[in-house]
Amino acid sequence: MLEKVLFLLCLTPALAQEPCFPGSSHAYKVRISIKTALGNQAYVWNDNEMYLFRAAMAFALRSYHNGQEFNVSNIMVCNETPRVSFWFVVSSPENSSVLLKKGDVENAIRKSRNRINGAFLLTDQTLEFIDIPPTLAAPVMPVTPPWLIVFGVVMGAVGAGIIFLLVSSLVQSKRKKNKKTLDEDREDMRGIENGLGCDNLGGVYNTTFSDGDKFTPM
Amino acid sequence: MDKGGSRPNWDSPMQFVLACVSYAVGLGNVWRFPYLCQMHGGGGFMIPYLFMLLVEGVPLFCLELAIGQKMRLGSIGAWTAISPYLGGVGLASVMASLYLCLYYNIINGWSFWYLFHSFQSELPWAECPLNANLTGPLEECEKATATQYFFYRETLNISSSIEENGGVHTGQALCLLLAWIVTYLFIVRGVKSTGKVVYFTATFPYVVLIIYLIRGVTLHGAINGVKYMFTPKMEQLANPTTWINAATQIFFSLGLGFGSLIAFASYNEYNNNFERQAVIVSFINSGTSIFASIVTFAIYGFKATVNYENCLERVRLLLLNAFNLAEDTINMDNIFEWMERLNQTHPQQFAELDLGNCDLTQELDKAVEGPGLAFIVYSEAIKNMPLSQLWSVLYFFMLLLLGMGSMLGNITAITTPLRDFKIFSSVSVEVLNGLVCLFCMLLGLGFTTTSGNYWFTMFNDYGATFSLLFVVLIEVITVSYIYGIKRFEKDIEDMIGHRPNWYWKIMWAGISPILLIALFIFYIANYIMGGTPTYMAWNKDLVRPTFFSFYNNYCIHTFYFKLVQMGISTFTQRSWKKGEMVVPPFFHH
Repeated sequence: MLEKVLFLLCLTPALAQEPCFPGSSHAYKVRISIKTALGNQAYVWNDNEMYLFRAAMAFALRSYHNGQEFNVSNIMVCNETPRVSFWFVVSSPENSSVLLKKGDVENAIRKSRNRINGAFLLTDQTLEFIDIPPTLAAPVMPVTPPWLIVFGVVMGAVGAGIIFLLVSSLVQSKRKKNKKTLDEDREDMRGIENGLGCDNLGGVYNTTFSDGDKFTPM
Repeated sequence: MDKGGSRPNWDSPMQFVLACVSYAVGLGNVWRFPYLCQMHGGGGFMIPYLFMLLVEGVPLFCLELAIGQKMRLGSIGAWTAISPYLGGVGLASVMASLYLCLYYNIINGWSFWYLFHSFQSELPWAECPLNANLTGPLEECEKATATQYFFYRETLNISSSIEENGGVHTGQALCLLLAWIVTYLFIVRGVKSTGKVVYFTATFPYVVLIIYLIRGVTLHGAINGVKYMFTPKMEQLANPTTWINAATQIFFSLGLGFGSLIAFASYNEYNNNFERQAVIVSFINSGTSIFASIVTFAIYGFKATVNYENCLERVRLLLLNAFNLAEDTINMDNIFEWMERLNQTHPQQFAELDLGNCDLTQELDKAVEGPGLAFIVYSEAIKNMPLSQLWSVLYFFMLLLLGMGSMLGNITAITTPLRDFKIFSSVSVEVLNGLVCLFCMLLGLGFTTTSGNYWFTMFNDYGATFSLLFVVLIEVITVSYIYGIKRFEKDIEDMIGHRPNWYWKIMWAGISPILLIALFIFYIANYIMGGTPTYMAWNKDLVRPTFFSFYNNYCIHTFYFKLVQMGISTFTQRSWKKGEMVVPPFFHH
């Protein structure tokens, strides 16, 4: 019992001195890729930028928790690497030894994500909060899918084409019928024909088949 | 047999040639030949391919044209005229064409679907759609790639196996309807309509191919693909499969045995010089295959290079994040040095990273054929090009024209013999063609269901191979031995004015039949020893992350012996005169 109390007593100051460490249950890891986002116009990451980050976090928390006045001093950062990645924890404004739960921090960040991104000219992919999924923009769904519109146009054109062809061939066949009845009246006068049977042609008969073996002997 | 003017004719021999080109040059030139080229040693594959063209392709093509032009009837009538006992051969051809018509227009439906979806500011297969929480991409899409997801889920809405049926996919059904309406528009008045349409369907694909060639070779990394293709691997020539695949590719690519060539030729003038036209069309067909494969390999090279570079980028990010190095320390030039260095300094941490293997040759080795190549691989490459909407529209329009051109031949192969029968000759051309189209469309709706793609694969892979080989074998043996090569010679002399020279006679009477018999025996042996036929299925809820397949994603092999058995038995049928078994066909052109 006494050992436990002593252990706890020793642990608490240790915790109080190091609230921010990688893997802490209250800490988030941030990874920033400035060069990927901005290429030639990338700015250098320095202490001023870090200050801006802490201020942006404080802003996000203030907007989420209406009333509580978070300050830059409530945001503690540690383990900064050349990659530009670091861990941070948030302490409560009333009591600086109490750290905010991850869930609250996450909600605050998600609410103001766009503003935070904007402050750094970055995007969700280049300013990453590990384990906080980005809220992607909802896809714009038009009322009629665009493919249906193109389909309708093509279908209409093709349908019109078919109707036109069918009607024109109907009209043509009617005309031919009328012409035929007219021709039949003048048939005897003509020596030349068209559309009449082969019997009247008197042309040359192709003798290749009429040898007698019309059908191939099996 | 009427020799008079009551049979419609092509307006000019050029229309006939273009019709044959349009028919023969089809999707197989784009999606089968590049695959074979890749599998069988790149540039070296040209040797067996050209050999088979001369020995098998040109003679058989010419043979069918001769028969059609001489008999001036569709396939059933023509074979009945040669011998009444052989009417079954014609009937088998018609059945083959019927099966083909049922499922081929589905591909045109897909082309329409992709074409219409290209008219958007962002191509729908470029990015994965978001999940319900809007936190990230959909799980199924993330495990596969966005293009695969678009094809299998949004285009086909595919089920997990052939047994699971679902409803008809409305979008697919609409596209199929449109495909059939367009087909009807092209053939509504028979040869008179078809003759005008083929001016466009035969020539425009070449325009697109040339544009794509120029675009393709200027793409970043395309040269890797073209070099890969043209480096011949001569050892493949020793492999008999190479020669067999060359033979079957020539055979199916020219569309022999379907009766379409006989049908087209039956509308020719009696004295048309088909011999020269046969040579021209066969060479155009093979030339197009080679040309299309150059374009395909340029695209492959581009896609492989992009994938390779993305892989390297991914590795770079992983290294930066894991070892907390500044962003500009690792770039593309020194990434391999860094990998070595980090492996030496922090071996354990390095080993824990899942870096994967970035290998350009491995990317190039990924060979795909069939609809997967046309709709997945190509669309993936297109989405990475600048101005992707334009390229997408051009490409799918070309696919559409290739497919429609082949459909013209297939439908004509059915309607021509039908019109030769007395009972149908009183019905007008428009009505008969309309009924055939309607019938095929209604049956084809089955392929738009959720398991429809498996049925499609079954028809495509197993529906025809034997039958066509058998039909053409019977054709060539009949003409050479039963009808008699001497009579045939005389007929040809009657038509074009000179006898066929020794090349044709040797091929028709000797070499082509032997080759066909060899192919036929090979197919039977393969079929018997192959065991139960299998197909690849798309499984969307596979929990374990292991990928084991061909589509590089979670697919499972499933055996469906019963169904194929049923299928095979529906495919065989008897000739109407004698008890001959005539076994139906396949598509590959």
